[in-house]
Amino acid sequence: MRHSYLDSFSNLDSPIHRLEARAKIILFFALVVVCVTTPAKAYPAFAGYLLVLLVLLFLSRLPLKHVFKRALVVVPFVLMVAAFIPFLKTGVIGGGYNLGGMTISQSGLLVLWNVVVKSSVGVLSMILLSSTTPFDGLLKGFERLKVPHIFTTIAAFMYRYSFVLVDEAMRMKQARDSRNFKGRWIWDAKVIGHMIGNLFMRSYERGERVYLAMLARGYDGRSRTLEGERISTADVFFVITVMTLVVLVRILGSRGMFL
Amino acid sequence: MHIPDGFLDAKTLITTAVVSAGAVGYGIKRANEKLGERQVPLMGVTAAFIFAAQMLNFPVAGGTSGHFLGAVLAAVLLGPWAACLIMAVVLVVQCLGFADGGLTALGANVFNMGVVGGILCYYIFVVLKKALPRTRSSFLSAVAVTSWFSVILASAVCAIELAVSGTSPLGVVLPAMVGVHALIGIGEAIITTVVVAVVLSTRPALVGSYDLPIIPHPAGGETQ
Repeated sequence: MRHSYLDSFSNLDSPIHRLEARAKIILFFALVVVCVTTPAKAYPAFAGYLLVLLVLLFLSRLPLKHVFKRALVVVPFVLMVAAFIPFLKTGVIGGGYNLGGMTISQSGLLVLWNVVVKSSVGVLSMILLSSTTPFDGLLKGFERLKVPHIFTTIAAFMYRYSFVLVDEAMRMKQARDSRNFKGRWIWDAKVIGHMIGNLFMRSYERGERVYLAMLARGYDGRSRTLEGERISTADVFFVITVMTLVVLVRILGSRGMFL
Repeated sequence: MHIPDGFLDAKTLITTAVVSAGAVGYGIKRANEKLGERQVPLMGVTAAFIFAAQMLNFPVAGGTSGHFLGAVLAAVLLGPWAACLIMAVVLVVQCLGFADGGLTALGANVFNMGVVGGILCYYIFVVLKKALPRTRSSFLSAVAVTSWFSVILASAVCAIELAVSGTSPLGVVLPAMVGVHALIGIGEAIITTVVVAVVLSTRPALVGSYDLPIIPHPAGGETQ
């Protein structure tokens, strides 16, 4: 069965794909942190971040449709905040809008803008990172950045087995749907409980078998790989350039001197 | 319930991140001490399991759907600290791979679903289990109540975080979130209880928190 997976399109070739994993992790993490800590009123700064991301996106040659579809993940949360904006009455200092009996204060709109723009930058950065780096490369990058070994190992196992388990789950779903399951109400959750119980037993027993097989092959808690790629001067230079640009955008944008 | 970037302010982000990092760090230490590397493949497969199970949406009512959280299930099976660690791995992978949940909000998301949903709810479960008579059905009732409550508690904490950050007013967001999740929680409770019942009837020794004498069922099948 096919599933669109975590690191789809990470096998393409582009300048962004070729960057070392550590460089990309640092770059995108820093970009998100700088953006989130920017005051909401620094409008030009956000335009600058989005521009940087768009240039990176263009360089990465990722299909726009894929990026856009992934980015829709934030929509429900944004809608929820948007729905509550009219109730946010703090500091109605004029300049509000009147929409069919509901007043929306300017500070409420500012909250909405803040949420929309920051979550967009966050989502775009993460999509760019995961779509340009194969998952095991990403984990190796984290390991070299001193993330606890046990954490990356659990994540590696999880990634490896998620394909098997998702396949198993999808097969069960297909079997269930072909037997005319029309889950519409909450008490139908019992059927899903049985499916998930079954899934757990199967995955647990698979985990045991895998562990024994690994022990038989000399597993001692470490997965050894050949000495991997070293971070090149060009990568360091690229990261430093983009970061300087982003920090400049933030400083100038916050002062309103940008553009 | 995966909070994206930009929804929380600095003080909320830092506070929740510090607490979550502490809990996950302690979980890593315990996992290293207790069973060494032996538990790692098991935890990885459990994480993959929660990841896959979260893809099976269940209907709530009239078109909306919720999905399984799994924190209480992981805690009942593997203990609270391992559950928190597993939830953290799942959330990190969802954040990096699907952009589901923001990078800077990761601390808050791990806090809601790992620390509150896993660790805190495990101890609520332990208290509940002690208060009830020592039977299989009351064990399962404690699982049901705790898993229902875990979803509500996690959503309430999420609402409070949004309100403290000035993103949504508490008076509206709290009742709305808790109201919706009281319903989603019923689904969570049914699923968690059925899963625990299935595991208890097939391989009871796997339910780490089950402390009643295990009597093999004559038919070998599921006991109702």
